[in-house]
Amino acid sequence: MAECVKVCTGNFGKGAQDIEVYKKLGGYGDALKRVFEMSQFELIDYVQRSNLRGRGGAGFPTGMKWSFVPRNSGKPVYIVVNADEGEGGTFKDHFLMMEDPHRLIEGLIIAAWALGTRTAYIYCRGEFLPCIESLNKALNQAYAAGYLGENIMGTKFSLDIFVHRGAGAYICGEETALINSLEGQKGQPRLKPPFPAVSGAWKSPTCVNNVETIMALPWILQHEPEEYAKMGTPRAGGTKVFCISGDVKNPGVYEAPLGTPMMTMINEYAGGVVGGKLKAVLPGGSSCAPLNAEEAAVATMDYECLASMKTMFGSGAMIVINDTHNMVDLLNVLGNFYSHESCGQCTPCREGTGLLHRILNLIVDGKGHDGDVELMQSLCGGFGGVTICPLSISLGGPVSSYTAKFRKDFDEYIAKNPDHAKPRVQETYRPGIFW
Amino acid sequence: MSNYYNMPKLPTENSPKVEIFVDDRPVMVPGDTNLLEALKAVGIETPHICYHPYLPVSGNCRQCLVEQEGPRGRMLVISCYTPVVPGMKIYTPASSERVKNARKATQEFMLVNHPLDCPICDKAGECTLQENFMEAGQNESRLRPEVGKNYHGNPDHQFVDSKGQVRGGKHVDIGPRILLDEERCVQCDRCVRFMRSVAGDEQLQLAGRADHTYISTFPGEKLDHEYDLCVTDICPTGAMTAKYFRFQKRVWLLSHTPTVSMDDSLGANIWLDHADGKIWRMMPRCNPQVNRSWLSNTSRMAFQTFSENRLPAIDASAIKIGEGKVAIVLGGTCTIEDLAAARMLKDSLGGRAELFGGTFRAVGKADGIAKSGDPMANRKGFKVMGVGDNNLQDLVKRVSEFETLITVNADLFGEDAAAASPLEKIKNRIALSAFDDATAKKATVAFGIRHWSEVQGTMVNSLGILQKLNAAPTAPEAELRPAYEVLSQLSGTAITCASKAFKKAGEYASVLAEYSYDNIKSTGALLNGVEV
Repeated sequence: MAECVKVCTGNFGKGAQDIEVYKKLGGYGDALKRVFEMSQFELIDYVQRSNLRGRGGAGFPTGMKWSFVPRNSGKPVYIVVNADEGEGGTFKDHFLMMEDPHRLIEGLIIAAWALGTRTAYIYCRGEFLPCIESLNKALNQAYAAGYLGENIMGTKFSLDIFVHRGAGAYICGEETALINSLEGQKGQPRLKPPFPAVSGAWKSPTCVNNVETIMALPWILQHEPEEYAKMGTPRAGGTKVFCISGDVKNPGVYEAPLGTPMMTMINEYAGGVVGGKLKAVLPGGSSCAPLNAEEAAVATMDYECLASMKTMFGSGAMIVINDTHNMVDLLNVLGNFYSHESCGQCTPCREGTGLLHRILNLIVDGKGHDGDVELMQSLCGGFGGVTICPLSISLGGPVSSYTAKFRKDFDEYIAKNPDHAKPRVQETYRPGIFW
Repeated sequence: MSNYYNMPKLPTENSPKVEIFVDDRPVMVPGDTNLLEALKAVGIETPHICYHPYLPVSGNCRQCLVEQEGPRGRMLVISCYTPVVPGMKIYTPASSERVKNARKATQEFMLVNHPLDCPICDKAGECTLQENFMEAGQNESRLRPEVGKNYHGNPDHQFVDSKGQVRGGKHVDIGPRILLDEERCVQCDRCVRFMRSVAGDEQLQLAGRADHTYISTFPGEKLDHEYDLCVTDICPTGAMTAKYFRFQKRVWLLSHTPTVSMDDSLGANIWLDHADGKIWRMMPRCNPQVNRSWLSNTSRMAFQTFSENRLPAIDASAIKIGEGKVAIVLGGTCTIEDLAAARMLKDSLGGRAELFGGTFRAVGKADGIAKSGDPMANRKGFKVMGVGDNNLQDLVKRVSEFETLITVNADLFGEDAAAASPLEKIKNRIALSAFDDATAKKATVAFGIRHWSEVQGTMVNSLGILQKLNAAPTAPEAELRPAYEVLSQLSGTAITCASKAFKKAGEYASVLAEYSYDNIKSTGALLNGVEV
C-alpha cells in the first residue's frame, strides 16, 4: 500500500477534538491567515485551481458551485454543511466529524470567507449523537478562542455556526429537502429552478456542501492548490475518504487518492475479501449499480471511470459482496429502505418504490412468477428523469442493473415457486373483488 | 410543499405572443405563462392532476410531462412548471413515444394503490383521474393479484376486509361538511395548498411519507372553514366528498346552467346543477376576474332553500295600486331588468311613485376570495340604473306619506322586524316575492314570482362587471313569472323577455346601452365609468 497524503483523516486518533491538540497539529494557523489576505474571488479561483469536486455524491466542482452564488442579491448568503449521511454504506462523515471537528470549523471559516457568509449551519443527522456532542464541544472551544463569533482573529469578519439536528429522513440529504427541513418544514425536495444557490434557505442564496468537501479546504490552503490537484485524476483533484464495508477483512474509513484501482482498495486497504470469492462491488453507496468481479478488476475509483461503467462514484462507499450472498436478498433490503424513505411527493416514486418492494417481497417469499423481473425492469423505465429528485432512480437503477447482471439469482429464486411458469390468469374486473 | 409561494402565471388577453415549436411545428402561444397553459391556449390539452391554475405549483403528480429540447438533449419536463421561452422546442405524445410512455407509466403508478371501484365512486363521471385514464391509460393490469395494494390512510382508520386486504379509512369524518375516503386519495396535495394559500388557514396536511402518505387534519381538529367545500371541487378523485351531495345524484345525469350567485354583491359565477326540475348542487364557475374557482359555503348551500316555502302564482289583476303615493321597494336580488321595469312602473304612475332600495342587513367586509360581504347583490346595478340603493331609512321616516307599498324581492320584515315595523302603517302592502317570507305574510297581497335562479337577467357586481344570469328550469310552478314581467305589466307595457327588458334598461342607463343582452359573455363585461 503506497503511502498517501492524508488530507481529511490526518488527525485521526490523535485527540484532535481538543482545540490545543488541533492547533499543535497545524490547525487554525497559516491557512486562515492566508485566507484573510485573499479576496473572495481570489479564494474561489484558488479552490477552482485545486480541482476539488463535491464529495457528497454528485461530484460538482466546488469552486464553480461557489461562483454561482449571487453577490448582490441584498440577502444574506448561507452555507449549509450536509452532514445528513444517509446513503447505505456511507459512514465517513460520521467519523470525520467525530475525530476532527475543528477541521470542519476551519473549513467552514474558509468557505464563509469565500461566500461572504455570516451564518453557517451544520445539518447533522439526528442519530449521530456523539458527533453532535463532539461538534458542539469544538464550537464552544472555537468561540472561546476567538475563531468564531464577532471579528474572527482580529479581522472585521464574523461568523456563527449552528448545529442542526435532522429528524432521520434519508431524503433530507437532498439539498432542497435539507433546506426545507432546516426551515422547519416537511423534508421534501423543492422544484428547481430556482436552485438553492439563488434561492435556498429562507429564499436566500444558499450553498450546500458535503462535510468532506469543507474539510479538504484547510489542507488546500496550507499547501498549494496544484499540489492537491496533482494527487487525483486530471478532472478531479485530491484524495477521497472511502468507507469500505461488507465482506472484507478490515472494513473502515480509508483515505486514498482519486483514481486508485478498486482492487487495490479492497485487497491492500481493506485486507481482501473474506468468506468467499468476490461477487459484486457497490462502488458508491447503496443507490448505485453494482460491478461484478470482472468489472471490479479493471475499475478505478474516480468519477469518470465509474460513470463509463454505468455506475457512479457517489459518496465513495464501497460495499463488497462475496459469492455466498444472493443479490435478490440485497435488492429486497434496498427495496425496503427506499420504499420507506420516499418522501411521498412524486407519484412514480411514491407508488413505484412500494410496488417494487412488494414484488421483490413476493420473489423472496418464494412466490415469484415468470415475468416479474421484466415487469420490474419495465416499471423502472417509468422512473427515469421524471421525478423532482433522484430517489426513485436510486431504487430504479439498482433494480435494472441487479436484474441485468445477476439474472441467475432472480431465476433461482423464482424457480422456488412450483407454479412460477403457469400462465398468468388475466383477472377480469368483477365487482366485489376489491371491496 | 415545494415552492409554496409559487403561483402559476396565467395567460391573459394581452399576453404577448411568442413562437415556440410544438412537435416541430411553429405555433404562437402566450409568452408569459407556463407551458401547460400555453399549450391549452392553442388547443393542446395536457393531462394533469396536481396542477390547478389558482393554486401554487406543486409539481408532484408528474402527469403533465412533455419533452423539451435542451443543451443536454431532449429532457422530460413537467409542463406546469416550465415557463414558456421563445423558440423552445417541445414534443408532446403526438410525436414522442417517450412522452407517451412516461405519461402512461405515471398513470399506471397513480393507479397502483388506487381502488378500482369507479362504478360505486361518487366522483365517477367528473374525476380527473378517470378522465386521464380513459384517455391514455392502459386497460389491462400488469400486476398479479398477489402483489396487492397498499392503501393510503391513517393507521388508526385502517381495517382488514373479508378478503384479508388491509384497507384505508373509507368515510372518515374529516369535518362537518366533508367526508374523506383515504383510499382514493392520490396525494396531489391540492386541498392542502388550497387551505394554505387560498383559505389562509392551514387545516390540512399530508402526514406520513412514501406510499403511506395520507391527508390529515391536526390531531383533534376538524376541517372547518367558510370555503372548505371548495376542497371537494378541486379534489381530482373521490377522496373528498361533500356530505350534502354524496350519493345523491350521478353527475352525468345533471344538467348545468351557468349563472351568477345573487347571495352576495361579488356575484360569484356558478353552475346550477339540476335534474328533474330540482337543483342538486351549486358549483363554482371559473371567472378569473371575479371568484376564480372558489365559492363560499353560504353561497353554495343557499340552493337548498330555493324550492322551499315558495309563494304561489296568482292572477296579476289582484294587484291594485291605489290612488295615493306609491313606494316601490326593490331588494338586492333584483336584476337590472327588474329595475328597468320598476322605473317603467314609476314613470307610468307619474310623480306619485318613488323607488327605494336597500337592505336592513349588515354589510360585512370582503374576504378576498369569493365574497364581498355585501348582502345586497345588485347594489352597483342600482347605482347604474339610478335607483337608490340605501334609502330605506328615508322611507321609514316618511312612511305616513305613502298609501301603497310594493316590495319586490325585499324581505324587509324578515331582515329586521323592528326597523321595518313602521311600514305596517301603509295600508296597501303588495309583496312580490319568491318566498312566503315575513314580508309576504304581512302583505295584503302576496304575489309569487320567480327566484333569481329561475330568471334570465343581468346584474352588476361589486367590481363593476356586468354579469348574466341564466334560468335553470327549476321553478316549482310554470305560472310563476319573473319580477320584470309583472312590474312591466303593471306599468301597462308588458315585457316578456329579458333581452327587451335589458334594452329598456339601456334607455335609463346609457352605460348599458352599448351592450345587448345576447352579447354579454359568460364571464361578464367590465362596465366603463362605474366606480368600484
